[in-house]
Amino acid sequence: MTRVAEARHTCWAYDDHRPFDAYARDFLGAGLAAGERVWYVPGDWTGTTAAWLRGAGPAGAARVISQADAYRGVAVVDPAGQVAAYAAATEDALAAGFTGFRVVAEATALVRSDAQRHAFATYEYVIGRYMRTAPMRAVCGYDRSELGDRAVAELACLHEASHEAGVTFQLHSGARAGESVLTGELDLAMREVFASALVHTDLATAGGEVVVDARELRFIDHQSLIALQRHLEARRLTAVVRTRLGATARLAGLLELPRVRVAVTG
Amino acid sequence: MRTGAAAGHRGYFHEALCYDSDERLLAVALPFLLGAIAAGEPAVVALGERNTGLLRAVLPADAPITFLSGDAMYTRPASAIRAYRKMLSDFAAGGAGQIRVIGEIPPEAFGATWDWWARYESAVNHAYDEFPLWSMCVYDTRRTPAPVLADVLRTHPRSALPDDRHVRNADYTEPVVYLSGSRPPAPDPVQRAEPLADLTGPTPAQARDAVRAADRGVLPPADVDDLMMSVSETVANAHRHGRAPVRVRLWSGADRIVVAVTDGGPGPKDPFAGLLPSGDGSDGGLGLWIVHQSCSHVALYRQPGEFTIRLTAGNPHSGN
Repeated sequence: MTRVAEARHTCWAYDDHRPFDAYARDFLGAGLAAGERVWYVPGDWTGTTAAWLRGAGPAGAARVISQADAYRGVAVVDPAGQVAAYAAATEDALAAGFTGFRVVAEATALVRSDAQRHAFATYEYVIGRYMRTAPMRAVCGYDRSELGDRAVAELACLHEASHEAGVTFQLHSGARAGESVLTGELDLAMREVFASALVHTDLATAGGEVVVDARELRFIDHQSLIALQRHLEARRLTAVVRTRLGATARLAGLLELPRVRVAVTG
Repeated sequence: MRTGAAAGHRGYFHEALCYDSDERLLAVALPFLLGAIAAGEPAVVALGERNTGLLRAVLPADAPITFLSGDAMYTRPASAIRAYRKMLSDFAAGGAGQIRVIGEIPPEAFGATWDWWARYESAVNHAYDEFPLWSMCVYDTRRTPAPVLADVLRTHPRSALPDDRHVRNADYTEPVVYLSGSRPPAPDPVQRAEPLADLTGPTPAQARDAVRAADRGVLPPADVDDLMMSVSETVANAHRHGRAPVRVRLWSGADRIVVAVTDGGPGPKDPFAGLLPSGDGSDGGLGLWIVHQSCSHVALYRQPGEFTIRLTAGNPHSGN
């Protein structure tokens, strides 16, 4: 899986906010050093990052912004609208002469209810696609002690990388609509989280044949392949799963999954 | 409309053909195949190279018979069942009133892997019973060990003899009864050594890591990947359907890796588990079926208070 330090879109799960606070400073500091505009969206606590950031970087480079301002209130997020908002912020940063835009957002308050979490998970998936091609990077923080393991896992797996989130796989956006990237390992332990992750993708809106880029997938069990088949069947999609795992191709052949075509790549 | 000895029989007419000379083999096999030709029934020969040659020499050159490689057909029991069921379905869909098959499990199966072929011979009484199939399973009594021949007579309802004689085997045992018995396989010699890994309560991921760590390049990567998948599926099943403690032991030999997964439960209730797919996978039957198609040998056995699935990747026949 993509390492946290290399990922454009990372989930940082925590029980103790201090390491998250420290990572936020490092991440935002690296952005400033690279000439980017940075935003810090704190949660209920601000830690040291907010105070540090207020004096950091050149004029207009750093901003501490409330969840209400960054996410237009803390009700149920509008995925497409929020992507548009961050795209506009990225364009503003570029227009002002910055090299890019990066955000650390403590998002616990935005996902407390099931409805909030479902919408935000959908947003997490689609903002990932924007970040694949635009000069934006983000770290999303979630307080596990408040949200619980399952809720955090459902959100974390939709990022390019995650930190201590209890997930062994990531399912995030590819660069194009109708393309997902699947990395890591999928087995019994991830069965329900994987089914949830599929629901939060926007593959269904692409229609027809979608692509699952699984070149960095290390393992998938038969139940997960069947879960994928069921998801595709319900939405009348077919998928090409590109993988280096010959065993996955053999497994799919045995299962005779009509909606899943496994292509082994070098 | 069925013909020959199976006329009037419903379902699978499963016979053993035990012979001790080429003449005796041909005395049964040739009329069997000529009868198929005369009746216009599909006929399939899946024998070893030598016996195929014997039959080809005496059959009409243009005989409408499908010749398959017995060695290729009988690589793994679950794979053979899958392939035969597809073939039989196609023949039945084509309107065949009866299908005749003569097959031969390769003699190398009579050693360390006979336990799963014995299970095959029993399970097919059920697995093929929805088809109008008449088959003869060929065993050369000069080369077949006595315990194997005893299993043959327990798993075939009838024996075919020269002069169109077909006799019931007194030792025949219904598959549900036969398959419910425990047949611990002969210990693999590599199991005499201390295991490379001995894990108690591992997750499937930890068990996969143990397989990765044991890969010393002695097996093709595809075999290691298939073993890793099989171990993962087996450990997942043990956690979901077995009882604690789940234990995984792994040994590595010069040409194979052997993994034993043990739990404290009684094992699967389905006597056909592993040989036939079971349901949608929610009861573990599909995982075990996949395992049976992915390893070079799978042994299932019960001992007091525990159930073990032993998986082999690589050469299961080696005595080293």
